[in-house]
Amino acid sequence: MISLICLPIVQFFGNYNYVIHMVLFSFLYITMSSSWNIIGGYGGFISIGHNVFFGIGAYFSGFIYARYGISPFYTAVFAGMIATVFGFAIGLITLRVKGPSFIISSIALLMIFRTLFDRWELVGGAHGITLPHNTLSVEWSKIPHYYALLILMVLSIYLSWYVRHSKFGLALRSISHDEIKSEVTGINIKIIKVTAYALSAYLIGAAGAIWGDYLTYVRPNIFFIILIAANMVLMCILGGKGTVTGPIIGTIVMIFINEFILANFGASELNIFFTGLLMILTLLYFPDGIIGSLKKRKLLPGFLDWG
Amino acid sequence: MEILQVIILGLCLGFVYALMVSGLTLIFGVMRIVNLAHPILIISGAFVSYWLFILFGLDPILSVPAAALTVALLGVLLYKLIFEKNAAQQTYSEMTVLLTFGTAMVIDGLLAFLFHNTQRTASPAYATDAIFIGDIFIPLAQLYSGMVSLGIIVVLALFLKYSEFGIAIRATSQNRTSAELVGVNVKFVCLISFAIGCALAGSAGSLVSFVFSFFPSRHWEWIAILMSLVVLGGMGSLTGAVIGALVLSVVSSLVGAFYSPAWSTMVFFLALFLILIIRPRGLFGIRTD
Repeated sequence: MISLICLPIVQFFGNYNYVIHMVLFSFLYITMSSSWNIIGGYGGFISIGHNVFFGIGAYFSGFIYARYGISPFYTAVFAGMIATVFGFAIGLITLRVKGPSFIISSIALLMIFRTLFDRWELVGGAHGITLPHNTLSVEWSKIPHYYALLILMVLSIYLSWYVRHSKFGLALRSISHDEIKSEVTGINIKIIKVTAYALSAYLIGAAGAIWGDYLTYVRPNIFFIILIAANMVLMCILGGKGTVTGPIIGTIVMIFINEFILANFGASELNIFFTGLLMILTLLYFPDGIIGSLKKRKLLPGFLDWG
Repeated sequence: MEILQVIILGLCLGFVYALMVSGLTLIFGVMRIVNLAHPILIISGAFVSYWLFILFGLDPILSVPAAALTVALLGVLLYKLIFEKNAAQQTYSEMTVLLTFGTAMVIDGLLAFLFHNTQRTASPAYATDAIFIGDIFIPLAQLYSGMVSLGIIVVLALFLKYSEFGIAIRATSQNRTSAELVGVNVKFVCLISFAIGCALAGSAGSLVSFVFSFFPSRHWEWIAILMSLVVLGGMGSLTGAVIGALVLSVVSSLVGAFYSPAWSTMVFFLALFLILIIRPRGLFGIRTD
């Protein structure tokens, strides 16, 4: 933890932008996969359209930045709230179905938002919004994003841990096993499900706001693509869904693999290929993920066992 | 008059859509797998026909059997490698949907790596022609593809209705255990239905290759479009799929003609979303829970 806080010091000794980029990219995806884990892992509702909230957050903060000049670092909090409100509204509608129907409805949701933002002229249509660069020098321009995403990551892990060990999380996990039995035991399943969905949207939305500022442009074909959601799902499943440390480990492994492929084969199409292949292999042979499998065999080291 | 024109064009496309979803609904009926890889299999079929046309000048309609066979073989391979384990139990899980999702990504990545994401269309001579009936013009590409699709669907329906194997397929999709009891080799039926479903995807691909412009990543959009058609008609029902395809295709053409072409695909997505929420079984669907 302390080493992560201190890592930007390397910039004093030269330009390590690549290292900084990779680490903050990991922060971003750990935030997203841990948040996804709340509804997808504990709740058992597999959403392959969860980056809708990522896009909503990015567009909200990006729009305000471009129009009124208020930096996304201030508005990220509100971007998260907007995402939560959307999450609540969408959850009320979509969480009534489950299983494959829910998965398909999440894809439909993503396509609806993609089409909307592609056509919405106020936010630039398919070209999106271009944001101004920050005024820091090359070495230091990534540092604000680094710390912002570090904070979001810590929050997301804490949230995931808290949900896992709270009564709320217990109710959520019982819903994922059997909705009807849970309802019989007096759990208000609707409130629990929708709250979990909205909670998982909050940090994804906030992360979207920061990421939009980092990229300096917000476009539908960057934020509303299914690949982002696929990555969230895969990272979570690879690490072990329904565990606190699973998404963290899954994300780190996945980003290493991605970088390895990019460095050796270059083409991003092959990246899609290997992501899909990894997903198939994980689902067929390690459905419990890395952490889940280790835990089952009682091989999990204590410092990774957070529940 | 204009409205009639739009409806006829919508119907022509509707039959192509119906063929595109017939395989999807067949596989769901027999194996309870929501095959998200179906659209990318259609695009694989389109590539087969496209290259046969570019390299040998073979008409895409004539290459329907070639595309169907290629994609069916691909399907058998996928089935053996990935789905056989899950086909054994009738209850599906979310994991199977994710498996097909991963499969779609694998094929998408491979095709995009080989052929890049550039828009392609096979352009046989009739692709730009049209015939006129009174005031109404019908582009030949749409007309031919619609008629071929209708033909294939009719053959499929007859096969399912009257042939012995078709009856075995329908029995399996109605009740797997009972089918097994009366001596149906369910595993074999699953394999063959999967292959037939993929063959239908391939044949749809050949027709798609000159009706739509296609590129590998386009299948993400088609997942939602095809799902909306089957979900409206009801998963697992061929009649439902055809009706769903015709209805939504006409509605989307009407929206495209009288409101704005930019919003015509929105019809599919909104329909999918709303139907899943209001009536997940669709109009003619089989119970899944």
